[in-house]
Amino acid sequence: MRIGIVCPYSFDVPGGVQNHVMDLAEALLGLGHEVSVLAPADEDAALPPYVVSAGRAVPLPYNGSVARIAFGPVSTARVRRWITRGDFDVLHVHEPLTPSLSMLAVLCARGPVVATFHTAMTRSRVLSAAQGVLQILLERLTARIAVSALARKVQVEHMDGGAVEIPNGVAVAKFAGVEPLPGWPGECAPGTGGTLGFLGRFTEPRKGFPILRDAFVALAPHRPGLRLLVAGPGDAEDLYGQFPAELRERVTFLGMVSEADKPRMLRSLHLYVAPNTGGESFGMILTEALAAGTTVVASDLDAFRRVLDGGRAGRLFPTGEAAALRDALTELLDDAGQRAGLTAAGDQVVANFDWPVVARRVLEVYAAAIEATDGRVMDQEWAGLG
Amino acid sequence: MPGMWWVVGATLVLGLVSAYLIWTAGRVERLQARAESAARALDAHLLRRAAAAAVLAEQRYGVELYSAARIALDAVGEEREAAENDLTRQLRTVVLDPADPACEAVIAASRRLALARQVHTDLVRDARAARGRPLVRLLRMGRGREWPRYFDVDDPTVTPKADVTTG
Repeated sequence: MRIGIVCPYSFDVPGGVQNHVMDLAEALLGLGHEVSVLAPADEDAALPPYVVSAGRAVPLPYNGSVARIAFGPVSTARVRRWITRGDFDVLHVHEPLTPSLSMLAVLCARGPVVATFHTAMTRSRVLSAAQGVLQILLERLTARIAVSALARKVQVEHMDGGAVEIPNGVAVAKFAGVEPLPGWPGECAPGTGGTLGFLGRFTEPRKGFPILRDAFVALAPHRPGLRLLVAGPGDAEDLYGQFPAELRERVTFLGMVSEADKPRMLRSLHLYVAPNTGGESFGMILTEALAAGTTVVASDLDAFRRVLDGGRAGRLFPTGEAAALRDALTELLDDAGQRAGLTAAGDQVVANFDWPVVARRVLEVYAAAIEATDGRVMDQEWAGLG
Repeated sequence: MPGMWWVVGATLVLGLVSAYLIWTAGRVERLQARAESAARALDAHLLRRAAAAAVLAEQRYGVELYSAARIALDAVGEEREAAENDLTRQLRTVVLDPADPACEAVIAASRRLALARQVHTDLVRDARAARGRPLVRLLRMGRGREWPRYFDVDDPTVTPKADVTTG
C-alpha cells in the first residue's frame, strides 16, 4: 500500500504525536508498505529518510500552549505537491483540527482520508468560531481513529461521529533487553533495599508525585537501602527540598532523559510508580514500563486499569492514598515471586501494544477507508493483513 | 455612470451565488456517491462474514450456526438487519479459537465488518446531513440518488475465547 502520513508538529521538538508518527511509519515500513511522512522541519534538520520537510515551522501560541506548526500559502503549495507526487492509496493525517499541515492536507485530499485524534480536546478555539469550516473538514474524513477511550468519547459526543479506538503502540523491542544504568537497580530482599521510580513532571499536581513522596518518606526509615529514582523536567532543588535532609541521599534526580535513555531508566527499577490523580487519557508510560519488564504500581484510574488489565498486569492502589501505596510497595518489594508474576502477565498485555500489532489494526482501518471510497473489497494479502 | 456599477455588482453577486451553488451540488453529489460506495463495501463484508461462518458451521457447531449463516446470506431488504444480528448472536455463543483457521477467518471477517459498519454509519450521516440542508432540499439537489440509508445492526465484534491464562 502507498501511504502518506501527515504530522502537524515539527520533528525538531520531541513530543507524543511526533513519536507516534515515527513509530507508526517505521512499523508500516517493516510490514512492507511504502510510507512517506510530511512534517514541518528546519531545512538543515537531520530527518529519517521517509520524512519530507514541509518547511520551517513557526511557533504559535495555540490552545494555551506553544505549538510549532506550519500553515499558510507556501505550506499549502508544498502539501499539494507532496500529495500529487505521492499518488497515495490512503492519506493518514494526525490531529486534523489544529490549523496545521494536517488540516491543509485534508482540504487538498481527493481520495480516502484517515484521521487520528490524539488529544481529548473538545474543540479548538479557531474552529468553534467557524462551525461551517469544521463540518467541511470532518466530512472529508473517511475514517477516524482515537488513541484513547477519552478521545473517542469526545469524537462521539462533540464531533458527531464514531471513531475506532486503537491505542498508542509501544516499540517493545526498544525497551526489552536494554542494560540498566550502571549501579542500578541494586539489591532488593525482604525488609531491605529496592528501587522505586517516577518519570514525568513532578511539579504537576495531577501527576501525583507528592503521594509517592509521602509513601517513600513513611517507608524509607523502616527499610534500609530503599532508593528513589526520579526523571523528568524540573529543578533539582525543588525536588530535594521536598524530602527530609536525612533521606535526600537516597533520592536520585536524573533530569530530562532522552528517548534512548528512557528504557534504561525504566529497567533500573524494581517498581515503577504512577501515582497520577487524573487527567491521564491513556497511560503510555505504563506500557513502556511493562515493555521494559518492570513491575508497575499505579493509581486506580480508568485508563490505568485498562492498560493493566484490571490489576492482572500491575498493582493498582486507591487513587491519592499514600498509605495504601506504602502498603502495596512494602508487599511487592518483599515478594519477588509476586513481582515476577505481575511482570509475566505484563509481557502478555504489552504484546497487544507492540507497534507491528497496532500497525496491523491501523492497516485494517486504511482498508476500510479505501473500500468505502471505491466500493470494492480488497483481499487480505493486498492490504498486507494476511 | 451609476447604471454600469449596478450591472457589475449584479454580475458579481450572480457569479458568487452560482459558484456557491455549483460547489454545494458537487459536495452533495460527492458525499452521496461515497455513502453508496461504503454501502457496497459493507454488503461485501456482510457476505464474507456469513460465508466464513457457514464454512465454520460445516466443520462443527452444526445446524443452528449454519442456518443463521444461510439466512443472513439470503436475506434481502428489511429482513437483512435482523438476520445479521441473529448471526452475530449465534457467533457469540460458540467458542472461537484463534489458532484454528476456520475460526480465525470468522474473527477476522467480523473485525473487518465492524470497521466497515462504523465507516458506513459515519458516511451515511455526513451524506444525509448535506442532503437535508434547506437550500439543498429547496433546489432538489442530489435527487438522482436515493436517500442514503443507515444499516442498523449491533456491533459485530466477536471476542475470541482463547485459553485465558490467569496471572
